[in-house]
Amino acid sequence: MALTEATILDRLRPIEDPDLHRSIVDLGFVRDIRIDGGRIRFDLVLTTPACPVKEDLRGACVRAVELLPGVEGVEVNLRAETRGAEMGDRKALASVKNLVAVASGKGGVGKSTTAVNLAAALAREGAAVGVLDADIYGPSVPTMIRVETPPQPMDDQTIRPAQGHGLRFISMAFFMPKERAAILRGPMVSGYVAQFLGRVDWGALDYLVIDYPPGTGDIQLTLSQQAPITGAVVCTTPQEISLVDVRRAVAMFETTRVPVLGVCETMSYFVCDQCGKKHFIFRSGGGRRMAERLGVPFLGEVPLDPLVTEGGDQGRPIVIEAPESPAGRAYREIAGAVAAQLSILNVERGHYLESFSLQWKT
Amino acid sequence: MTEAARSLLVRRIEQLDRHTLGIEWTDGHRSRWRLAHLRRHCPCAACVDEWSGRPLIKPQDVPEDLTAARVESVGRYAASIQFSDGHATGIYSFPLLRKLCQCAECAQGSPAPAGRSA
Repeated sequence: MALTEATILDRLRPIEDPDLHRSIVDLGFVRDIRIDGGRIRFDLVLTTPACPVKEDLRGACVRAVELLPGVEGVEVNLRAETRGAEMGDRKALASVKNLVAVASGKGGVGKSTTAVNLAAALAREGAAVGVLDADIYGPSVPTMIRVETPPQPMDDQTIRPAQGHGLRFISMAFFMPKERAAILRGPMVSGYVAQFLGRVDWGALDYLVIDYPPGTGDIQLTLSQQAPITGAVVCTTPQEISLVDVRRAVAMFETTRVPVLGVCETMSYFVCDQCGKKHFIFRSGGGRRMAERLGVPFLGEVPLDPLVTEGGDQGRPIVIEAPESPAGRAYREIAGAVAAQLSILNVERGHYLESFSLQWKT
Repeated sequence: MTEAARSLLVRRIEQLDRHTLGIEWTDGHRSRWRLAHLRRHCPCAACVDEWSGRPLIKPQDVPEDLTAARVESVGRYAASIQFSDGHATGIYSFPLLRKLCQCAECAQGSPAPAGRSA
Protein backbone atom coordinates (compact mmCIF):
# COMPACT_ATOMS: atom_id res chain seq x y z
CA MET A 1 0.00 0.00 0.00
CA ALA A 2 1.48 3.31 -1.09
CA LEU A 3 1.66 6.15 1.39
CA THR A 4 -0.94 8.74 0.48
CA GLU A 5 -2.55 11.64 2.24
CA ALA A 6 -5.75 9.59 2.52
CA THR A 7 -4.07 6.66 4.27
CA ILE A 8 -2.40 9.02 6.71
CA LEU A 9 -5.67 10.83 7.46
CA ASP A 10 -7.37 7.46 8.00
CA ARG A 11 -4.76 6.60 10.63
CA LEU A 12 -5.24 9.95 12.36
CA ARG A 13 -9.03 10.02 12.24
CA PRO A 14 -9.62 7.96 15.44
CA ILE A 15 -7.63 10.52 17.50
CA GLU A 16 -10.02 12.85 19.29
CA ASP A 17 -9.47 16.23 20.85
CA PRO A 18 -10.08 15.45 24.54
CA ASP A 19 -12.10 18.63 25.11
CA LEU A 20 -14.07 18.81 21.89
CA HIS A 21 -14.67 15.03 21.71
CA ARG A 22 -14.30 15.07 17.97
CA SER A 23 -11.77 13.65 15.53
CA ILE A 24 -8.79 15.92 14.95
CA VAL A 25 -9.15 15.19 11.22
CA ASP A 26 -12.83 16.24 11.15
CA LEU A 27 -11.97 19.37 13.13
CA GLY A 28 -9.50 20.33 10.40
CA PHE A 29 -6.51 20.27 12.75
CA VAL A 30 -4.33 18.21 10.36
CA ARG A 31 -2.93 20.33 7.55
CA ASP A 32 -0.25 20.44 4.93
CA ILE A 33 0.75 16.77 4.78
CA ARG A 34 4.07 16.27 3.02
CA ILE A 35 5.27 12.81 2.00
CA ASP A 36 8.92 12.52 1.15
CA GLY A 37 9.66 8.84 0.52
CA GLY A 38 9.17 7.29 3.95
CA ARG A 39 9.32 10.59 5.80
CA ILE A 40 6.00 12.15 6.75
CA ARG A 41 5.57 15.72 7.92
CA PHE A 42 2.37 17.58 8.72
CA ASP A 43 1.03 20.48 10.76
CA LEU A 44 -1.27 19.96 13.72
CA VAL A 45 -3.20 23.22 14.10
CA LEU A 46 -4.79 23.48 17.55
CA THR A 47 -7.42 25.99 18.64
CA THR A 48 -5.22 27.58 21.30
CA PRO A 49 -1.50 27.82 21.96
CA ALA A 50 -2.39 27.16 25.61
CA CYS A 51 -3.77 23.69 24.85
CA PRO A 52 -2.92 21.64 27.96
CA VAL A 53 -2.64 18.35 26.08
CA LYS A 54 -0.75 19.44 22.98
CA GLU A 55 2.21 17.13 23.63
CA ASP A 56 -0.13 14.17 24.23
CA LEU A 57 -1.83 14.86 20.89
CA ARG A 58 1.49 15.14 19.11
CA GLY A 59 2.57 11.80 20.61
CA ALA A 60 -0.68 10.12 19.60
CA CYS A 61 -0.28 11.39 16.02
CA VAL A 62 3.31 10.18 15.75
CA ARG A 63 2.42 6.73 17.14
CA ALA A 64 -0.55 6.35 14.77
CA VAL A 65 1.34 7.23 11.61
CA GLU A 66 4.56 5.40 12.54
CA LEU A 67 2.73 2.10 12.34
CA LEU A 68 1.95 2.49 8.63
CA PRO A 69 4.15 0.24 6.47
CA GLY A 70 6.91 2.14 4.72
CA VAL A 71 7.05 5.01 7.20
CA GLU A 72 10.57 5.83 8.34
CA GLY A 73 9.99 9.01 10.26
CA VAL A 74 7.15 11.29 11.40
CA GLU A 75 7.46 14.96 12.16
CA VAL A 76 4.47 16.84 13.62
CA ASN A 77 4.67 20.60 13.61
CA LEU A 78 2.42 22.10 16.33
CA ARG A 79 0.70 25.36 15.49
CA ALA A 80 -2.27 27.22 16.93
CA GLU A 81 -4.98 29.35 15.44
CA THR A 82 -7.12 30.77 18.18
CA ARG A 83 -10.72 30.74 17.06
CA GLY A 84 -12.95 33.58 18.09
CA ALA A 85 -15.91 35.73 17.29
CA GLU A 86 -16.19 38.56 14.85
CA MET A 87 -16.74 41.60 17.03
CA GLY A 88 -18.47 43.32 14.12
CA ASP A 89 -18.54 47.08 13.94
CA ARG A 90 -16.86 47.74 17.28
CA LYS A 91 -13.67 48.96 15.72
CA ALA A 92 -11.35 48.81 18.70
CA LEU A 93 -12.35 45.27 19.58
CA ALA A 94 -12.50 44.13 15.96
CA SER A 95 -9.31 42.10 16.15
CA VAL A 96 -9.84 40.67 19.64
CA LYS A 97 -10.82 37.01 19.37
CA ASN A 98 -11.93 36.23 22.91
CA LEU A 99 -13.13 38.52 25.71
CA VAL A 100 -12.68 36.77 29.05
CA ALA A 101 -14.26 38.25 32.17
CA VAL A 102 -12.63 37.52 35.54
CA ALA A 103 -15.15 38.31 38.25
CA SER A 104 -16.08 37.61 41.83
CA GLY A 105 -19.14 38.24 43.93
CA LYS A 106 -17.12 40.23 46.48
CA GLY A 107 -13.71 41.81 46.93
CA GLY A 108 -10.54 40.41 48.43
CA VAL A 109 -10.59 36.98 46.84
CA GLY A 110 -7.54 37.54 44.64
CA LYS A 111 -9.46 38.31 41.48
CA SER A 112 -6.97 40.79 40.02
CA THR A 113 -4.08 38.44 40.85
CA THR A 114 -5.95 35.69 39.04
CA ALA A 115 -6.68 37.92 36.03
CA VAL A 116 -3.03 38.95 35.69
CA ASN A 117 -1.64 35.45 36.15
CA LEU A 118 -4.22 33.96 33.80
CA ALA A 119 -3.19 36.52 31.16
CA ALA A 120 0.53 35.90 31.79
CA ALA A 121 0.05 32.12 31.59
CA LEU A 122 -1.79 32.39 28.25
CA ALA A 123 0.91 34.74 26.91
CA ARG A 124 3.62 32.33 28.11
CA GLU A 125 2.13 29.71 25.77
CA GLY A 126 2.48 32.06 22.84
CA ALA A 127 -0.92 33.79 22.70
CA ALA A 128 -1.32 37.55 22.20
CA VAL A 129 -3.00 38.75 25.40
CA GLY A 130 -4.32 42.01 26.80
CA VAL A 131 -5.65 42.95 30.24
CA LEU A 132 -8.39 45.51 30.72
CA ASP A 133 -8.54 46.65 34.35
CA ALA A 134 -12.23 47.55 34.71
CA ASP A 135 -11.92 48.10 38.45
CA ILE A 136 -12.25 51.86 38.18
CA TYR A 137 -12.39 52.51 41.93
CA GLY A 138 -9.57 50.14 42.89
CA PRO A 139 -7.28 49.70 39.88
CA SER A 140 -4.38 47.39 40.66
CA VAL A 141 -3.23 45.85 37.40
CA PRO A 142 -0.33 48.31 36.76
CA THR A 143 1.07 47.41 40.20
CA MET A 144 0.95 43.73 39.39
CA ILE A 145 2.50 43.96 35.91
CA ARG A 146 5.68 45.98 35.59
CA VAL A 147 5.02 48.84 33.18
CA GLU A 148 7.69 48.78 30.48
CA THR A 149 5.91 51.17 28.11
CA PRO A 150 3.17 53.46 29.46
CA PRO A 151 -0.01 53.98 27.44
CA GLN A 152 0.34 56.47 24.59
CA PRO A 153 -2.30 58.61 22.92
CA MET A 154 -2.41 57.97 19.16
CA ASP A 155 -4.85 60.74 18.22
CA ASP A 156 -7.91 62.34 19.82
CA GLN A 157 -9.84 59.12 19.50
CA THR A 158 -7.56 56.27 20.42
CA ILE A 159 -4.92 55.28 22.92
CA ARG A 160 -2.28 52.58 22.70
CA PRO A 161 -2.26 50.29 25.75
CA ALA A 162 0.66 50.00 28.17
CA GLN A 163 3.06 47.08 27.77
CA GLY A 164 4.95 44.88 30.19
CA HIS A 165 5.91 41.20 30.44
CA GLY A 166 4.64 40.74 26.88
CA LEU A 167 1.12 41.82 27.90
CA ARG A 168 -0.85 44.84 26.70
CA PHE A 169 -2.92 46.49 29.42
CA ILE A 170 -4.96 49.52 30.35
CA SER A 171 -6.13 50.73 33.74
CA MET A 172 -7.73 53.69 35.46
CA ALA A 173 -4.52 53.91 37.50
CA PHE A 174 -2.81 55.53 34.49
CA PHE A 175 -5.29 58.41 34.50
CA MET A 176 -5.31 59.20 38.19
CA PRO A 177 -2.64 60.78 40.41
CA LYS A 178 -1.06 58.25 42.79
CA GLU A 179 -2.48 58.10 46.32
CA ARG A 180 -5.69 59.71 45.10
CA ALA A 181 -9.02 57.92 44.99
CA ALA A 182 -11.38 57.91 42.04
CA ILE A 183 -14.49 59.55 43.45
CA LEU A 184 -16.95 59.26 40.64
CA ARG A 185 -20.67 58.89 40.09
CA GLY A 186 -21.96 55.73 38.43
CA PRO A 187 -22.57 57.16 34.95
CA MET A 188 -19.02 58.56 34.79
CA VAL A 189 -17.55 55.19 35.75
CA SER A 190 -19.57 53.49 33.02
CA GLY A 191 -18.24 56.17 30.67
CA TYR A 192 -14.64 55.26 31.48
CA VAL A 193 -15.32 51.58 30.96
CA ALA A 194 -16.97 52.31 27.60
CA GLN A 195 -13.87 54.30 26.58
CA PHE A 196 -11.59 51.42 27.55
CA LEU A 197 -13.66 49.15 25.34
CA GLY A 198 -14.07 51.51 22.43
CA ARG A 199 -11.01 53.73 22.34
CA VAL A 200 -8.08 51.47 23.15
CA ASP A 201 -6.22 50.18 20.13
CA TRP A 202 -5.55 46.64 21.30
CA GLY A 203 -4.35 45.35 17.96
CA ALA A 204 -4.72 41.65 17.22
CA LEU A 205 -5.34 39.73 20.45
CA ASP A 206 -6.14 36.09 21.06
CA TYR A 207 -7.46 36.92 24.54
CA LEU A 208 -8.49 40.12 26.27
CA VAL A 209 -8.80 39.38 29.98
CA ILE A 210 -11.13 41.83 31.73
CA ASP A 211 -10.55 42.29 35.45
CA TYR A 212 -14.07 43.05 36.69
CA PRO A 213 -14.70 45.18 39.76
CA PRO A 214 -15.97 43.05 42.67
CA GLY A 215 -19.71 42.55 43.04
CA THR A 216 -22.64 42.74 40.67
CA GLY A 217 -23.30 46.39 39.91
CA ASP A 218 -23.40 49.06 37.27
CA ILE A 219 -19.97 48.54 35.68
CA GLN A 220 -20.46 44.81 35.40
CA LEU A 221 -23.73 45.40 33.57
CA THR A 222 -22.17 48.00 31.28
CA LEU A 223 -19.41 45.56 30.36
CA SER A 224 -21.88 42.79 29.54
CA GLN A 225 -23.95 45.16 27.41
CA GLN A 226 -21.20 46.95 25.52
CA ALA A 227 -18.97 44.00 24.74
CA PRO A 228 -19.86 40.51 23.61
CA ILE A 229 -18.04 38.79 26.49
CA THR A 230 -17.04 35.32 25.31
CA GLY A 231 -16.99 33.75 28.76
CA ALA A 232 -16.47 34.42 32.46
CA VAL A 233 -14.24 33.00 35.17
CA VAL A 234 -15.64 33.39 38.70
CA CYS A 235 -13.12 33.50 41.56
CA THR A 236 -13.79 32.58 45.15
CA THR A 237 -12.11 31.58 48.39
CA PRO A 238 -13.18 28.27 49.97
CA GLN A 239 -15.39 29.55 52.82
CA GLU A 240 -19.13 28.93 52.67
CA ILE A 241 -19.80 32.68 53.05
CA SER A 242 -17.89 33.60 49.88
CA LEU A 243 -19.67 30.86 48.01
CA VAL A 244 -22.94 32.73 48.45
CA ASP A 245 -21.32 35.53 46.43
CA VAL A 246 -20.22 33.08 43.75
CA ARG A 247 -23.83 32.15 43.25
CA ARG A 248 -24.66 35.83 42.82
CA ALA A 249 -21.91 36.38 40.25
CA VAL A 250 -22.93 33.29 38.29
CA ALA A 251 -26.56 34.47 38.31
CA MET A 252 -25.47 37.86 36.95
CA PHE A 253 -23.70 36.24 34.01
CA GLU A 254 -26.66 33.98 33.38
CA THR A 255 -28.97 36.99 33.18
CA THR A 256 -26.75 38.62 30.59
CA ARG A 257 -26.10 35.30 28.80
CA VAL A 258 -22.37 35.29 29.32
CA PRO A 259 -21.28 31.63 29.46
CA VAL A 260 -19.55 30.84 32.76
CA LEU A 261 -16.30 29.07 31.88
CA GLY A 262 -15.89 27.89 35.44
CA VAL A 263 -15.08 28.61 39.07
CA CYS A 264 -11.53 28.96 40.34
CA GLU A 265 -10.61 28.86 44.01
CA THR A 266 -7.83 30.98 45.50
CA MET A 267 -6.20 30.76 48.94
CA SER A 268 -7.16 27.10 48.94
CA TYR A 269 -4.42 25.85 51.27
CA PHE A 270 -1.04 26.75 52.72
CA VAL A 271 1.96 24.50 52.27
CA CYS A 272 4.11 24.55 55.41
CA ASP A 273 7.73 25.26 54.51
CA GLN A 274 8.88 23.12 57.46
CA CYS A 275 6.87 19.94 57.05
CA GLY A 276 5.46 20.32 53.50
CA LYS A 277 1.97 19.51 54.75
CA LYS A 278 -1.04 21.18 53.11
CA HIS A 279 -2.97 23.22 55.67
CA PHE A 280 -6.52 23.99 54.62
CA ILE A 281 -6.92 27.26 56.50
CA PHE A 282 -10.40 28.08 55.26
CA ARG A 283 -12.01 24.61 54.88
CA SER A 284 -11.40 22.56 51.79
CA GLY A 285 -13.23 21.78 48.57
CA GLY A 286 -15.78 24.63 48.80
CA GLY A 287 -15.15 25.96 45.30
CA ARG A 288 -15.38 22.52 43.78
CA ARG A 289 -18.63 21.75 45.59
CA MET A 290 -20.11 25.08 44.51
CA ALA A 291 -19.10 24.52 40.87
CA GLU A 292 -20.77 21.11 40.99
CA ARG A 293 -23.92 22.53 42.52
CA LEU A 294 -24.12 25.28 39.88
CA GLY A 295 -23.29 22.90 37.04
CA VAL A 296 -20.20 24.80 35.85
CA PRO A 297 -16.64 23.46 35.45
CA PHE A 298 -14.21 23.69 38.37
CA LEU A 299 -11.06 25.22 36.92
CA GLY A 300 -8.61 24.63 39.77
CA GLU A 301 -7.34 25.76 43.16
CA VAL A 302 -4.45 28.09 43.91
CA PRO A 303 -2.58 27.68 47.20
CA LEU A 304 -1.87 30.56 49.56
CA ASP A 305 1.74 31.43 48.78
CA PRO A 306 3.70 34.47 49.98
CA LEU A 307 5.45 34.43 46.58
CA VAL A 308 2.16 35.28 44.87
CA THR A 309 1.70 38.44 46.94
CA GLU A 310 5.37 39.38 46.72
CA GLY A 311 5.44 38.96 42.94
CA GLY A 312 2.19 40.91 42.65
CA ASP A 313 3.51 43.83 44.71
CA GLN A 314 6.68 43.99 42.64
CA GLY A 315 4.98 43.79 39.25
CA ARG A 316 6.13 40.24 38.52
CA PRO A 317 3.29 37.73 38.11
CA ILE A 318 4.20 34.41 39.75
CA VAL A 319 3.49 32.58 36.51
CA ILE A 320 6.53 34.38 35.06
CA GLU A 321 8.60 34.66 38.26
CA ALA A 322 8.22 31.08 39.49
CA PRO A 323 6.27 29.06 36.92
CA GLU A 324 7.13 25.77 38.64
CA SER A 325 6.05 26.84 42.15
CA PRO A 326 2.78 25.25 43.35
CA ALA A 327 0.88 28.52 42.80
CA GLY A 328 2.53 29.17 39.42
CA ARG A 329 1.65 25.66 38.33
CA ALA A 330 -1.94 26.07 39.57
CA TYR A 331 -2.45 29.28 37.57
CA ARG A 332 -1.03 27.65 34.45
CA GLU A 333 -3.40 24.73 34.85
CA ILE A 334 -6.32 27.13 35.26
CA ALA A 335 -5.23 28.98 32.10
CA GLY A 336 -5.16 25.68 30.21
CA ALA A 337 -8.66 24.84 31.44
CA VAL A 338 -9.94 28.30 30.45
CA ALA A 339 -8.41 28.03 26.98
CA ALA A 340 -9.99 24.59 26.58
CA GLN A 341 -13.44 25.84 27.64
CA LEU A 342 -13.17 28.76 25.20
CA SER A 343 -12.23 26.40 22.38
CA ILE A 344 -15.33 24.34 23.12
CA LEU A 345 -17.51 27.48 22.95
CA ASN A 346 -15.87 28.67 19.75
CA VAL A 347 -16.53 25.41 17.93
CA GLU A 348 -20.23 25.90 18.75
CA ARG A 349 -20.10 29.34 17.23
CA GLY A 350 -21.26 30.04 13.71
CA HIS A 351 -24.64 28.54 14.57
CA TYR A 352 -25.84 31.86 15.95
CA LEU A 353 -25.30 35.60 15.58
CA GLU A 354 -22.75 37.00 18.02
CA SER A 355 -24.11 40.49 17.45
CA PHE A 356 -26.50 42.11 15.00
CA SER A 357 -27.55 45.52 13.72
CA LEU A 358 -30.60 45.62 11.46
CA GLN A 359 -31.29 48.84 9.55
CA TRP A 360 -35.07 49.19 9.14
CA LYS A 361 -36.32 49.95 5.64
CA THR A 362 -39.42 52.12 5.47
CA MET B 1 -33.48 29.06 33.89
CA THR B 2 -33.49 25.77 31.99
CA GLU B 3 -30.48 24.71 29.96
CA ALA B 4 -32.45 25.27 26.73
CA ALA B 5 -33.57 28.77 27.69
CA ARG B 6 -30.05 29.63 28.76
CA SER B 7 -28.66 28.74 25.36
CA LEU B 8 -31.45 30.35 23.32
CA LEU B 9 -29.76 32.63 20.80
CA VAL B 10 -30.56 34.37 17.53
CA ARG B 11 -29.76 32.50 14.31
CA ARG B 12 -31.28 35.06 11.91
CA ILE B 13 -32.93 38.46 12.25
CA GLU B 14 -34.90 40.13 9.48
CA GLN B 15 -37.53 42.69 8.62
CA LEU B 16 -40.61 40.74 7.42
CA ASP B 17 -42.58 43.78 6.27
CA ARG B 18 -42.82 47.46 7.06
CA HIS B 19 -44.24 46.80 10.53
CA THR B 20 -43.02 43.30 11.40
CA LEU B 21 -39.78 41.98 12.86
CA GLY B 22 -38.78 38.33 12.51
CA ILE B 23 -36.19 36.25 14.38
CA GLU B 24 -35.22 32.65 13.83
CA TRP B 25 -33.89 31.17 17.11
CA THR B 26 -31.21 28.54 17.56
CA ASP B 27 -33.89 26.01 18.59
CA GLY B 28 -35.53 26.46 15.17
CA HIS B 29 -38.57 28.45 16.33
CA ARG B 30 -39.46 31.38 14.05
CA SER B 31 -40.85 34.36 15.97
CA ARG B 32 -42.58 37.41 14.52
CA TRP B 33 -43.79 40.58 16.19
CA ARG B 34 -45.65 43.64 15.05
CA LEU B 35 -43.47 46.58 16.16
CA ALA B 36 -46.47 48.26 17.84
CA HIS B 37 -46.89 45.14 20.00
CA LEU B 38 -43.23 45.30 21.10
CA ARG B 39 -43.50 49.04 21.78
CA ARG B 40 -46.57 48.45 23.99
CA HIS B 41 -44.60 45.89 26.00
CA CYS B 42 -41.44 47.97 26.33
CA PRO B 43 -39.79 46.94 29.63
CA CYS B 44 -37.87 50.19 30.24
CA ALA B 45 -38.20 52.30 33.39
CA ALA B 46 -40.18 54.98 31.52
CA CYS B 47 -42.77 52.47 30.35
CA VAL B 48 -43.08 50.23 33.43
CA ASP B 49 -43.25 51.45 37.04
CA GLU B 50 -39.98 50.29 38.65
CA TRP B 51 -41.61 49.45 41.96
CA SER B 52 -45.06 48.12 41.14
CA GLY B 53 -44.36 46.69 37.67
CA ARG B 54 -47.52 48.50 36.46
CA PRO B 55 -47.37 49.51 32.77
CA LEU B 56 -47.17 53.28 32.32
CA ILE B 57 -47.92 53.21 28.62
CA LYS B 58 -51.49 53.09 27.27
CA PRO B 59 -51.93 50.64 24.35
CA GLN B 60 -54.00 53.20 22.43
CA ASP B 61 -51.11 55.70 22.57
CA VAL B 62 -49.07 53.48 20.27
CA PRO B 63 -50.11 53.75 16.59
CA GLU B 64 -50.66 50.37 14.97
CA ASP B 65 -48.48 51.37 11.99
CA LEU B 66 -45.38 52.12 14.10
CA THR B 67 -42.07 51.36 12.35
CA ALA B 68 -38.44 51.39 13.46
CA ALA B 69 -35.06 52.84 12.54
CA ARG B 70 -32.76 50.10 13.78
CA VAL B 71 -32.68 46.87 15.79
CA GLU B 72 -29.40 46.05 17.55
CA SER B 73 -28.01 43.38 19.82
CA VAL B 74 -27.28 44.20 23.47
CA GLY B 75 -24.41 42.07 24.77
CA ARG B 76 -25.36 38.52 23.99
CA TYR B 77 -28.67 38.38 25.80
CA ALA B 78 -31.02 41.02 24.40
CA ALA B 79 -32.05 43.36 21.58
CA SER B 80 -32.75 47.07 21.61
CA ILE B 81 -35.16 48.67 19.17
CA GLN B 82 -35.05 52.24 18.00
CA PHE B 83 -38.71 52.91 17.19
CA SER B 84 -39.89 55.51 14.68
CA ASP B 85 -41.48 57.48 17.56
CA GLY B 86 -37.98 58.05 18.92
CA HIS B 87 -38.28 55.67 21.88
CA ALA B 88 -35.18 53.47 22.22
CA THR B 89 -34.57 52.73 25.91
CA GLY B 90 -36.11 49.26 26.12
CA ILE B 91 -33.81 46.25 26.42
CA TYR B 92 -35.73 43.22 25.21
CA SER B 93 -34.10 40.12 26.65
CA PHE B 94 -34.35 37.01 24.46
CA PRO B 95 -36.68 35.24 26.94
CA LEU B 96 -38.95 38.32 26.96
CA LEU B 97 -39.05 38.40 23.16
CA ARG B 98 -39.93 34.74 23.14
CA LYS B 99 -42.77 35.39 25.60
CA LEU B 100 -44.14 38.19 23.40
CA CYS B 101 -43.94 36.10 20.19
CA GLN B 102 -46.89 36.62 17.82
CA CYS B 103 -46.33 33.76 15.38
CA ALA B 104 -49.46 31.78 14.49
CA GLU B 105 -48.59 29.04 16.96
CA CYS B 106 -47.78 31.30 19.92
CA ALA B 107 -50.68 33.69 19.19
CA GLN B 108 -53.11 30.79 19.70
CA GLY B 109 -52.24 30.97 23.36
CA SER B 110 -49.68 28.21 23.58
CA PRO B 111 -46.38 30.04 23.48
CA ALA B 112 -43.69 27.65 22.29
CA PRO B 113 -41.50 26.89 25.28
CA ALA B 114 -37.91 27.80 24.51
CA GLY B 115 -35.85 24.86 23.33
CA ARG B 116 -38.80 22.60 22.61
CA SER B 117 -37.84 21.79 19.05
CA ALA B 118 -34.10 21.87 19.69
